[in-house]
Amino acid sequence: DTWRYAHEEYEGDVQDVFAYKFKEYIEDHSDHDVKVYRFGELGESSDIMEQTQAGILQFVNQSPGFTGALIPEAQIFFIPYLMPTDMDSVVRFFKESKAINEMFPKLYAEHGLKLLQMYPEGEMVVTADEKITKPADFKNKKIRVMTNPLLSATYEAFGATPTPLPWGEVYGALQTNMIQGQENPIFWIQSGGLYEVSPNLIFTHHGWFTTAMMANQDFYQGLSDKDKQLVQDATDYAFKKILVHIDGLAEEALQKIKDASDKVTITRLTDEQIKAFKARAPQVEKKFIEMTGESGKKLLDQFKEDLKKVQSETN
Amino acid sequence: MSEKSPEIEDDTGSYESGLPGFLGTIDVVISKIEAIMLALGVILMALNTCVNVIARFVFQEGLFFSGEINRILIILVTFAGIGYAARHGRHIRMSAVYDALPVKGRKVLMIIIALFTSLVMFFLCYYSYGYIETLHSRGRILPALGFPIWWIYIWAPVGFAITGIQYFLTAIKNFTSEDVYLSTGVVDGYADTESEV
Amino acid sequence: MATIMMAVMIGLLLLGFPMMVPLITGAVIGFVMTFDGFGQMQTFVQQMMGGIRPASLIAVPMFILAADIMTRGQSADRLINMVMAFIGHVKGGLAISTAASCTLFGAVSGSTQATVVAVGSPLRPKMLKAGYSDAFTLALIINSSDIAFLIPPSIGMIIYGVISETSIAELFIAGIGPGILILFMFSIYCLIYAYKNNVPVEEKSTWKQRAVSVRDALWPLFFPVIIVGGIYGGIFSPTEAAAVCVLYAFLLEFVVFRSLKLSHIWTISKSTGLITAVVFILVAVGNGFSWIISFAQIPQTILESVGVNEAGPVGVLIAICVSFFIACMFVDPIVVILVLTPIFAPAVQATGLDPVLVGVLITLQVAIGSATPPFGCDIFTAIAIFKRPYMDVIRGTPPFIVMLVGAAALIIAFPDIALFLRDIAFRD
Ligand code: NA
Ligand code: NA
Repeated sequence: DTWRYAHEEYEGDVQDVFAYKFKEYIEDHSDHDVKVYRFGELGESSDIMEQTQAGILQFVNQSPGFTGALIPEAQIFFIPYLMPTDMDSVVRFFKESKAINEMFPKLYAEHGLKLLQMYPEGEMVVTADEKITKPADFKNKKIRVMTNPLLSATYEAFGATPTPLPWGEVYGALQTNMIQGQENPIFWIQSGGLYEVSPNLIFTHHGWFTTAMMANQDFYQGLSDKDKQLVQDATDYAFKKILVHIDGLAEEALQKIKDASDKVTITRLTDEQIKAFKARAPQVEKKFIEMTGESGKKLLDQFKEDLKKVQSETN
Repeated sequence: MSEKSPEIEDDTGSYESGLPGFLGTIDVVISKIEAIMLALGVILMALNTCVNVIARFVFQEGLFFSGEINRILIILVTFAGIGYAARHGRHIRMSAVYDALPVKGRKVLMIIIALFTSLVMFFLCYYSYGYIETLHSRGRILPALGFPIWWIYIWAPVGFAITGIQYFLTAIKNFTSEDVYLSTGVVDGYADTESEV
Repeated sequence: MATIMMAVMIGLLLLGFPMMVPLITGAVIGFVMTFDGFGQMQTFVQQMMGGIRPASLIAVPMFILAADIMTRGQSADRLINMVMAFIGHVKGGLAISTAASCTLFGAVSGSTQATVVAVGSPLRPKMLKAGYSDAFTLALIINSSDIAFLIPPSIGMIIYGVISETSIAELFIAGIGPGILILFMFSIYCLIYAYKNNVPVEEKSTWKQRAVSVRDALWPLFFPVIIVGGIYGGIFSPTEAAAVCVLYAFLLEFVVFRSLKLSHIWTISKSTGLITAVVFILVAVGNGFSWIISFAQIPQTILESVGVNEAGPVGVLIAICVSFFIACMFVDPIVVILVLTPIFAPAVQATGLDPVLVGVLITLQVAIGSATPPFGCDIFTAIAIFKRPYMDVIRGTPPFIVMLVGAAALIIAFPDIALFLRDIAFRD
């Protein structure tokens, strides 16, 4: 039979690579076929989620930012400086975090979803019309964000003016100075050509673009034990492959950007500079707890504990 | 500058229900409500969008909920409008084959069109109600305004039902009267213009 | 499955069902065949709602509202008077003025039908009196209104931009070049026609009259400045520009010209709401339709079977133009955009064509189709407004269609006609 799997990115992007690795494993190890649908083929992000809940799709990949309307707690990834910054710690964090591997599956299960894997896509990088090294530099800058209240809160906390805009309008809006900056993983900045019109890249180390792959719960429960194991193995396989894939992806994209443009500047915030931004995080945390209540608070506490653990292990 | 203000044309100004007595009164009231929702919906859309632009310029920041309000208004206008358009025979259709038929043929075809369209509308009414129930059970909320998303879709089944009723009444009207009716209130006007040209 | 869907849809369409019915029925057949019954019909509803969700769609009612206010007020007449004062007196000047007025009014209005009404109603009697044949006059009015579809704002471009995820701002800017090219072609034809038929020239306006006409038209001339300047300068998004146009049209007609009374707002909004609803219900069901054909992988199957993927970019462009042109000869342009755009989307992506160029060409085909027999909404608008029989209305169209198809060929050969301005505005 055919299992249908939808994600929210284009050909060759991280979610697409994950989906095709999953498909490859399933098809090599069983008689099942996996049909992958890319961005826009079956509607927007919220549509493919509903279709998975309705059982038309068996698997879906959706980033927690979009899941926010369904599971408000999932917006936790927009709280700045809640994740480690170096690749090794991030990998360890996703593998070991209790919040990610134990608490999130329960939240998704309440909505008929079997959370199979959360994984990082890339570190968020800010681009702007000028170099930014302190919150005051964000003053009067309109920074494009995805439509999400908590992400807006983050940029408000940083001192900027968050401006929600659809992805299709971002390039033109930067070109015409309607907005002065935006944030995205570096490989989207490269593939979207955003560095051409917003040449100052700032590594603020405030967060990772995170995504989640899940199945319709009824579908998953109805599988034989053998097939359940197959799905788990395929997920593990895709996860391992994706960690290799994203390692170096950022370097590669950054190199391409450097080769393509000599206007580009790269600013990596020092620990001292990061402190000033980090000091603004509590007000975002407060907003998060306002939105999610007790369950969000527990999750946040666990996140911090997990972070501490990973950092103490790496150091 | 000219001080005289010409009377502007309102091509959907009057509506007479094809229904008798009390039902007719209800029908006219519904049509008035639809007209109000249409006009008000568009005015609010314009106000909301304009205020948002001004806010963006004056306060350097748009209104966060502006997009969601427009989303609600689009749905409102669309589904209030389909019933209203059905009432006034204004849905886009390709009438070439239909127009070529004699009066008798047009009447039969119009009855078939009206009945089938009515059926399709009730079909969608049923499933859009089901969709709302599903959304209700899933508890998705509008991110900025914070209330459950199913609220904004209530107009869909209502609009489909009203449109379905309109087309059903159009079929009845064609059964019971001499002329061919595009909707309960609109006589198929092509025969008149033909003699004119 | 695709064959059954198409056959039923075309059948219902030809019989005169409201356009939404063939689309819904086609989609429902697709759902029932794909999911063995009615079990997933809620997804159709979900996709209908998804179709009218994008925020950019707000620009559609806003531009309709602004155009409605201006058509009922004085803006349209003032623009026409100004054009007449300058080119009315040259040979064929009245005809050229008509084409130019359509272009200029097109720069304030998003719809061809509004342009037929606003420009055609006052200018047709003048042209007839001056000795132009009615066939030529009607064809000129109908086809020049096509230009309004290409010059920003354009409702067709908004809908294309929304469903293909293309920047509407870029589409708008890219439409200007082709719009002016077509105006140029039409003007030459008018000149030839006037010399061949020896149409007498109009009295020349004095410079004083011209100055007055410019002064009168000064306020309405700010519309293109708001729309094009606003988008070009990065001040507004297209949706915001639309809202500002409404605000500006309101100020002009209600405060400056005092041509309308506050109570008229109600009638105008209601009429705008009605047109919006009729278009948006099609956008909604069109989105449901495109979901099921996408889910069932129909576009890929069709395109593979006709070998579009091997045709290369130019081949794909030609295939798109021919398909849209033929479809628009029979079906409402909005419906054609809704149904065909998703079918060609995989081929456009695979060949790496610029979606803005594709959008401009599609808009042009759709505009031609609206004015091309046997069916076309501009033809029907003209029949309704001018009360002329069908044959009279279409008799003069062939030369115009030849010119428009020529324009499409030129744009395929020289994409910079469309992309030149876009590149200046949005690329380095
Ligand atoms: Na236009
Ligand atoms: Na046509």
